[in-house]
Amino acid sequence: MKRREFMLATAATAGTLILPRMTSAAEGVIDWYTSSDSNIYDFWANIVKPAFEAANPGITINLVDAGDGAGIIAIGERAIAAKQTGTDPQADYFETANPRLPAGAIEAGIYTNVKDAGLSNYSKVNPLAIDSDYSLPYRGSQVLLAYDSTKLDPANTPKNWDALVEWIKANPGQFVYNRPDKGGSGGNFVRRAIHQANGRDPSLFTVDNYTEEFGNEALGKAWAILSDIAPSLYDSGAYSSGNTQSIQLLAQGVVTMTPVWSDQVLQAIDQGVLPPETGLVQLQDLALCGDFSRAVIIENGTNKDAALKLADFVLSEDIQSAILTELGGFPGVSWDYVEPALRERFADIVPTTIPTFPSGQWEAAINDGWYRNVAPNVTRDS
Amino acid sequence: MTDLTQAAASRLLIDTNHNRRPWGLLLVAVPVFLVGWLVIWPTISAIARTVWRLDADGNYGFNLSSYVFFFSDQYSLNNLGITLWTTGMCALLLLVICLPIALYLRFSSGRLPAYVQGLAIFPLFVPSIILAYAFIRVLGPNGMVDILLNSVGLPKIRTPYLTPWGPVIGLVWDNIPLTVLILLAGLGNVANQSIEAARDVGANRLQVFWHIILPRISNSVLVALSFSILGIFSAFTLPYLLGPASPEMMGPFMQRTFREVNDPLNAITQAVIAFGFCIVFGLFYVRSVARNQGG
Repeated sequence: MKRREFMLATAATAGTLILPRMTSAAEGVIDWYTSSDSNIYDFWANIVKPAFEAANPGITINLVDAGDGAGIIAIGERAIAAKQTGTDPQADYFETANPRLPAGAIEAGIYTNVKDAGLSNYSKVNPLAIDSDYSLPYRGSQVLLAYDSTKLDPANTPKNWDALVEWIKANPGQFVYNRPDKGGSGGNFVRRAIHQANGRDPSLFTVDNYTEEFGNEALGKAWAILSDIAPSLYDSGAYSSGNTQSIQLLAQGVVTMTPVWSDQVLQAIDQGVLPPETGLVQLQDLALCGDFSRAVIIENGTNKDAALKLADFVLSEDIQSAILTELGGFPGVSWDYVEPALRERFADIVPTTIPTFPSGQWEAAINDGWYRNVAPNVTRDS
Repeated sequence: MTDLTQAAASRLLIDTNHNRRPWGLLLVAVPVFLVGWLVIWPTISAIARTVWRLDADGNYGFNLSSYVFFFSDQYSLNNLGITLWTTGMCALLLLVICLPIALYLRFSSGRLPAYVQGLAIFPLFVPSIILAYAFIRVLGPNGMVDILLNSVGLPKIRTPYLTPWGPVIGLVWDNIPLTVLILLAGLGNVANQSIEAARDVGANRLQVFWHIILPRISNSVLVALSFSILGIFSAFTLPYLLGPASPEMMGPFMQRTFREVNDPLNAITQAVIAFGFCIVFGLFYVRSVARNQGG
C-alpha cells in the first residue's frame, strides 16, 4: 500500500473512532451522575425520577452510575475541558459531589452557584448542612454506635466519650472502627475524637480555616487520644477496611461494638445481616458526626435550567419525607419543613443537631495524618 | 518485448519488496500503537511531570523534590518495604507450592491428575473480591476454621486477616493457576528419554530433578515468577481488603494518595517508583524470552 493510501485509510479509521464522541446531549434529558451506593441509585430510579418526570412533562432524567468519587471528578474534568473548547460536557447534575474537586472547578466556572440560582426551596435548607454556595445538601445520615446486646447490657452502654474510652479499655479487642478514608463510620469516629480533643466544639472547624499550624495542633491532640485506645482495639490495633467490614466483624461476633451509619445499620438489621439483638446508642455529650450529600449542578450543561428544576424538586416536602421513610436518611431541609407526623415519628431516633465536620483541606489532612500517626504506632506482633 | 518483460519482472520484484513490509508493519501497528498510547506515553508523561514542573515562583524547572521526599519519608519507605516483602514471600511460596503440582501433573496420567489440574486452575475463575470475602469467612476471626477447631476442642487460630499475611495468602492462591500453567508448559520440554537415561545410570529422584529437569525449565521458572511478581507488586484489591491499615502496599498507597489525600504529584511519584521496580522484573522476562528465541 502506498503511503498516501495508508494515511487516508488511517485517517478514515480514526475518524470513525472519534465520531461517536461528537454527539451532543439531548435537549430535555438531564444527564445525572451518582457516586453513591446502589440503595441511593434505586431510590432515584424508583421514587425521584418517576415523580419528577410526572410533574415536569417533556423532561426526563438519564441516570448514570459514575462508580465512585473519582468517577464524578473525571466527569468534572471533562466539563472543564468542554468549557474551554466551548463544547457540551454531557453532564447536568451530580447527585453528590464536592464542588472543590477537581481542583479549580469553581474558578473554571463549571459549577452553578445554587445560592444565587433562585431556587424557591433554597431557604428551607438546613443552614448547618451548607458547605459551599456551589452545592446543595439534600440528604444526610449520621454515625451511631452499634453493639451486641447479648454481650453488653443496654443499661451499661457508654453514653459519653469518656465512658466509651473507659469501656474500650476495660474490654480489649471488643471495639473496631474502620480506616477513616475507607468509610464514613470510622471516619466520623475519628472526627468525634478530633472534636473531643478540641473542647467538643464543632464550630472550631470550618471549611476554609485549615492551616498547617492549626491542623497539626488540633489533629495532633486527637492522634494522641486515638493512639491511646489503639492497643485495646480489635486484634490489638487492627482497623477494618470499610463500613461493611466493620458490620461483618460485629455480625460474626468478633467485636461487641463498632461505629455504623444510621441508614446502613437499619438496613442490615432489616435484611438479617445483623441480628435483632443489635443495639444502637448515640453519645450524649456530643453526637458522632453526620454528613450530608450535596448535589452539584453543571453550569455549562445543556440542560442547566431543567437540572435546577430537579434540584428544587428534591428539596420539596414529598421527596424530603421519602428520604426519611424510604431511605432511612435525614432530610437536607430544616426539621420545620418536614411533615409534622414524620417529625413526631422519628423524634426519638433523630437528634435535633447533627454535628458535621468540614471537608476540603481538613479531609486530606485527616486522611494522611491518621495513617502516619495512628495506624503504625502499634507493634502488633508483640 | 524482452525489455518490457524484464522491466515488468524487475518492477514486480521491487513491488514485492516494497509491498510486504508495510503490510507486515500494519499488522503489528495496532498493538504497537496501543502500547505506545496507553503504556509508554503515560509513563513518559508521568516521569516528565514529576521531574519537570512548576516551582514556587511559577517557573518550570527540573525538580526532584517529590522523589527526595519519598526516599526520606519513613512511612513511604515502610510501604515500599512491605510491598517488596509481600512480593518476595509470594514468589517463594508460589514456587514451593506450584513446582510440585506441575511435576506431579507432568509425570502422572489418569483421571486423578485431571481433577488436580482442574482444582489448580480453579482460582483463575474466581474474582479477587469474592476471594477476599471467602477468605474472611473461612480464615477470618470466628470463621469456618475457628468453628471447626472449636468443635473438636482446639483453641482458635491467630487469624491472618488484617495482618501482612492476609494479602500473601490471598495473592498466592490467586496466582497459582498462571504459575502452574507456565511451569507445566516448560516441563513439556523435558524429554522422557533423558530422564530414563539418567535413571539408567543410577540417578535418584532428587538428582534427576536437579541435573535433568531444573536446567531445562529454569527459563519457565523465571517467566512464571516475573509474571506473578509483576501482578503482585501492583496488586490492589487483596491488600486493600485483607491487609493491615499500615504499612500498606504500593497499590492501595498510591490510590489513597491520589484520591483521599488529593495529592497527584506524590501519587505519580509513587507510581514511577513502582514502575522502576517492575521494569527490573520485566527485564528478567524479556531477557529470558530473547535468550530462548536466540538460542
